[in-house]
Amino acid sequence: MALILPSALSSATSRGLWQLEWRRMTRTPRAVALIAVYVLFGLIEPLSTRYQNQLINHVSHGVHIQLPPPAPADALSAYTSQVATIGLIVVVAIAASSLTFDARHGLAVFLRSRATVTQLVWPRFAVSAAAAAVAYMLGTLAAWYETSLLIGSLPARPVLAGILCGIVYLAFAVALTALAASFVRSTVGATGITLAVLLLIPVAGTYHVISRWLPSALVSAPASLTGGAHQLRYYAPALIVTAVASRAILLGAVLRLRNREV
Amino acid sequence: MNPPPNALPALIPVLVLVVALDGYCLIDLARAQSVRYAPKIVWALVILLISAPFGALAYLLLGRDRTGRERPRPGRPAPQVHTPAAARQSPAAAVPPGPLVVTTTGLTRDYGGTGLLGVDLSVPRGSIYGLVGPNGAGKTTLLSLLAGTRHADRGTISLAIPRGRVAVCPDAPEFDGWLTAHEVVDLAVSLTAPAAGAADPQAAATALAAAGLADAADRRVAVFSRGMIQRLGLACALAGDPKLLILDEPAAALDPAGRADLLAMVAAMRGRRTVIFSSHILADVQRIADQVGILRDGRLLYQGATRDLLDTYLQPRWLLRLAGDTEPVAAALAAQPWATVNQAGPGMLRVDAATIEAGERGIPAVVAACGARQVSCEPAAADLESAFLALTAAGASPVTSTRE
Repeated sequence: MALILPSALSSATSRGLWQLEWRRMTRTPRAVALIAVYVLFGLIEPLSTRYQNQLINHVSHGVHIQLPPPAPADALSAYTSQVATIGLIVVVAIAASSLTFDARHGLAVFLRSRATVTQLVWPRFAVSAAAAAVAYMLGTLAAWYETSLLIGSLPARPVLAGILCGIVYLAFAVALTALAASFVRSTVGATGITLAVLLLIPVAGTYHVISRWLPSALVSAPASLTGGAHQLRYYAPALIVTAVASRAILLGAVLRLRNREV
Repeated sequence: MNPPPNALPALIPVLVLVVALDGYCLIDLARAQSVRYAPKIVWALVILLISAPFGALAYLLLGRDRTGRERPRPGRPAPQVHTPAAARQSPAAAVPPGPLVVTTTGLTRDYGGTGLLGVDLSVPRGSIYGLVGPNGAGKTTLLSLLAGTRHADRGTISLAIPRGRVAVCPDAPEFDGWLTAHEVVDLAVSLTAPAAGAADPQAAATALAAAGLADAADRRVAVFSRGMIQRLGLACALAGDPKLLILDEPAAALDPAGRADLLAMVAAMRGRRTVIFSSHILADVQRIADQVGILRDGRLLYQGATRDLLDTYLQPRWLLRLAGDTEPVAAALAAQPWATVNQAGPGMLRVDAATIEAGERGIPAVVAACGARQVSCEPAAADLESAFLALTAAGASPVTSTRE
């Protein structure tokens, strides 16, 4: 990112583009939907984990099923598995709606005849990734709060380390969305491509030699860290690869978008 | 399993979030002018009944109209468009051609036989340059190349001004509907002329007033008509005080009054900035353009002064107005080998002569011979349409620019 950051941040002309992205988040339901999804899962998943026995027996029609009492890490695991699907879809859709600035020809001419691609991409990436990070953090904090009240306390450092892993992964997903937007102009198309790639990466992770190095390893990191299965250093390779890949992907998106005509 | 003592504090945030989200969605639904996929009542039921708050999330992501339309605020008049008095004045006379501000040499963008093929464009500084041509002639491609939003395969573009002083307005401008008109123009100012924007906080307001949108400055773009969007695009183009303004079909979406306002506004720029605009409406080009370029099949058939083109294609045609019966005169003229006569209206004949001289000598003689009472005999003015049709007819060959 350092390659594209200086020109994007040093230019005074970028002020309006940052303001534009802030307004896009706050004037439309994007921010509300994003935070609502994450916080909702953060509040509901510990609740459903705590009462999973009652919920299962309520729908099992006479068959008595007794699960072991949930551990605090189970609640966080349930939360991360939910946001890794529905939450990720919302993040990618919101990022795609911002990053596909060539989707509407008249708007593309307005923007591209006045700003460079770097000036356009960077605020869109940064604000989308920051919004996703805030939503993920709030959701995790909500899950932490609920878990502490209903099941038991969670250690602070693994939870915070898990938040770090989740945020880095979401930034990677947003960068991937930018690259998808350089292949297709439509928002739906960019969303679909990004989600397909994000679904395919864990398939590569079945090859155990590289599984620790893939961004998808970060998805389950919060549960593993709080459950004590791994330490943060276990995820260092994935964190480094994901950060470097995000930077490279974003640079690739800028280069591709520069060559696209409107 | 009994509920733990902390169950109530754990449930309160869930309830608060669900109620707040449902409330937000219901208020938004009530204020929305339109929703998608289902009527408002159905969305209200979805929000309230479907496994709250998932119904609310479904509404936010699917049902909400993304243009962000809002009801016009009560008591506030509908947006009015105004054009400054100066812009309503008749177009100024053509300025003498100055030094060239845009020059292209062999400009080519080949889309497999179509596109733009070896165009040598010469646009004098301060002129209003009208670009005309049939559909697919290459007008938009040429303007896009000049604007820098497309790349040429071959050829060069020379600008005598910095690239940052070039502004472009596409034929169908689009903006984010959740921004106000002032915010859109302010964004344009911050992107094209941040120094000017810092020096003059009213720069956006000035551009909006120039485009006739002063009263609509605080309205969201989503409620704008297409004509107002077109004006907003023009305001954005004017915002940075450009030296070269590129307008692609600027009057396409405007009603007759709006078109007249826009043409007057563009004409008022003559001498202060250079304007290149394309149009299908040849009368508009003839009215305000002092320079004209005619494209066909990607090639520039003519460029030069509009007046020169009209003079070249002046037809030997007169409108003869008579008092009383026109039949005897029409019959007498029809008998002349050099004349063709058509009834142009009550008491009016349109006479086409083989040459200017034949008409000027022959028509008065025939009228006198018939003893008819002539009210007037006026040469029919050549118009750009006839010149355009003659130039773009199959087989017509390129005309050398009058500047060359």
